[in-house]
Amino acid sequence: MYPQLPVDFGFTEEHEILRQSVRRFLEERCPFSEVRRLAADPLGYDPGLWKEMATLGWIGLTLSEASGGAGLGQLHLALVLDEMGRRLLPGPYLGSVLASFALEAAGSDAQRGRFGAAIASGELLATLALGEPVASWEPEHVAATAEPVEGGWVLRGLKTGVLSAASAGLVIAPFGTPDGTPALFAVELPAPGVAVEPEIGIDPTRRTARVAFDGIRVAREACLEGPGLEALRVACRRGYAALAAEMVGGTEAVLELTRRYAIGRKQFDRQIGSFQAVKHPIVDTLIGLELARTHALAAAVALDQAAPEAEVAARMAKAIASEVYPVAVRRGVQLHGGYGFTWDCDVHFYFKRALWSRATLGDGAHHRRHLAARLLDDPPTG
Amino acid sequence: MPPLAEEVESKENAAFRREARAWMEANRPPDPGFKLPQSFLEVESDRQFEFLRDWQRKVYEAGYLGLDWPAEYGGRGDPLKRQRIVSQEMARARVPFLVNVIGLQWAGPTILVHGSEEQKRRFLKPILSAEEIWCQGFSEPGAGSDLASVQTRAERTAGGWEVTGHKVWTTLAHQSKWMILLARTDPQAGKYEGLSYFLFPMDAPGVTVQPLVKMTGEGGFNQVIFDRSPMPEEALLGRLGQGWQIAMTTLLFERGASEGSGGGQATASAESLRRVADLARRARRDGRPAAEDPVLRDRMVQLWITEEALRLGSLRVRIPELVAERPQALRFMSKLVYSEFNQQLAELACEILGPETNLWLGDPRAMDRAEWPRAYLNSFGMTIGGGTSEIQRNIVGERVLGLPKSK
Repeated sequence: MYPQLPVDFGFTEEHEILRQSVRRFLEERCPFSEVRRLAADPLGYDPGLWKEMATLGWIGLTLSEASGGAGLGQLHLALVLDEMGRRLLPGPYLGSVLASFALEAAGSDAQRGRFGAAIASGELLATLALGEPVASWEPEHVAATAEPVEGGWVLRGLKTGVLSAASAGLVIAPFGTPDGTPALFAVELPAPGVAVEPEIGIDPTRRTARVAFDGIRVAREACLEGPGLEALRVACRRGYAALAAEMVGGTEAVLELTRRYAIGRKQFDRQIGSFQAVKHPIVDTLIGLELARTHALAAAVALDQAAPEAEVAARMAKAIASEVYPVAVRRGVQLHGGYGFTWDCDVHFYFKRALWSRATLGDGAHHRRHLAARLLDDPPTG
Repeated sequence: MPPLAEEVESKENAAFRREARAWMEANRPPDPGFKLPQSFLEVESDRQFEFLRDWQRKVYEAGYLGLDWPAEYGGRGDPLKRQRIVSQEMARARVPFLVNVIGLQWAGPTILVHGSEEQKRRFLKPILSAEEIWCQGFSEPGAGSDLASVQTRAERTAGGWEVTGHKVWTTLAHQSKWMILLARTDPQAGKYEGLSYFLFPMDAPGVTVQPLVKMTGEGGFNQVIFDRSPMPEEALLGRLGQGWQIAMTTLLFERGASEGSGGGQATASAESLRRVADLARRARRDGRPAAEDPVLRDRMVQLWITEEALRLGSLRVRIPELVAERPQALRFMSKLVYSEFNQQLAELACEILGPETNLWLGDPRAMDRAEWPRAYLNSFGMTIGGGTSEIQRNIVGERVLGLPKSK
């Protein structure tokens, strides 16, 4: 039921080189002072840094070479996102990655050619709009509608929690078509009839907005050609694994902050890390982290193999990361004591990222419900 | 599409795996018609013991034990990978476990590291063939988690040593020919430096083995009392005063943090989530299969995710770059995580059984011969034995995370 993986995980020197270069770049360019500055910045990211990341090939990392990207795999991406999650890099990377998944899965050659190179070069900031006011984490449920009209479509509906929409030049979003299945549309922004209203989100390092489509008329080519539902499923699956990898990176950083505090802080003339009531929860965070990282890596490998059961691996990765990261930040705040409760302590930024991430693309209970169907029902119902 | 796991295995190893699989299937011993122990912790009757000893001898004679041990000591000098393949195939075939677990997995590998040439020649082969069974004399009534507080003394005599003291939780002592014994040789020296490590003959005079009854009502472990029991000069393993260091070697093997055992698995049934899922399809609640209960489904999947993480972790750990943050973490965590996982699995199985959990060993109506409640009770042998989970958390915190020592 779980996909078979190559024993070497398909891991190569090229993966390691990429990871090292991302790590060094972020160490230098994204110290925590920068995270704090951008958290309070109206735009929420550094366009100069974004441009540099594009030059390094990271924005178009998983876009195929034919689409103008680097054509690298999900494991490459997982390693990159792990590093970004550790540093809490503020900015539009995740939304851009999700949009790339959708474009790659549903775009025709012409559509991928039209947008891919511009996305990869950093000129066109893209995002994928998955949320709607009636929350659903599965792509089957789309309330927004696309009505066919002469020469094109009319789009109506409200998308919520859309990553970096206020800065985006392209939003890809699903709309229900009269035949009952969703199709994906690529709409360039700004556009008359599309209102983008920033949300005040819990995580200040990650900006979202509501995007209202008020009967906007788009050309026939705005509809991505591939089957929308299948493409959404692919994008979601890849999204689970991608977000899980970023969450694992965040857990790693929180573990390290908490570990260092437990070594440095003294009470009763002893380092607090020598108390088992402090030590053991930190060890439990480590255990959770290691299990979650194994799943995040394995899910990426399964997707790179195009394994038929890759969805099981991806859901497991998101499910366990959605348990482990929130618990790690809860312990992180608690074990920092009074300092942990202050704005000055960095842990609360991870705390908010963890809550946001758990509630995005399906939480643990959600994915376990779908996994249970694979495990227990014959035929599987989920 | 790139090749998958089993195809990546070398041709020779894949052929060896097929051969081992076929052998296990063809030679699986028939049900003896009496209750078999679930693990080496509860071998109580002679007939159970003889059945399991015969099985180990057969496996050894077929060439499936000690593969990675040197040929001059009864092994075959093959790479470790070969033994791993056999262990995997034994678990898959659900054949009985190998009764000389302490010899194969703890004493033997320790002797290979610290033993003299004579000791290796003398002791290793009979471990593999199950001709000589081993037990472990580490814990004492006053030295459990605080193992270095061992008080059992070994005093110098003309021809060797004399042991006086009291060991507890001595699994298989009543069937054993030898014991790995941690004893104090220098009461004046420090807590750690005063300990030495011996290979003690259980048939020495002055040895009393008294069975202890476990919470399941089963026997299998014991206390051993030594009253001036003699052992020869050559019983000493390594150097005088090196006992603590050697005991740590043994514990690394015991906890799975080091590899190199003679083979076999410690329990008959590598319990798996899949078996619990199967149980949930058979057990009923509210007149429907328990597998339809949403809360139980969620908990089964939680454990499924852990199980896959453990399995996949054994692949990940072989790629150094993917464990670069803490290369030792997965190995040091292993005993803690596996034992707690198995306990959670057995406990969940009991909940799935519902009222059926309440039928115990011996009631012919008990589902699966009461193996699930029995497994749950027995699971504490693994979360307590070999260093409790609490001690394991200290070890992981201190060795892997560099947290300050707990007093």
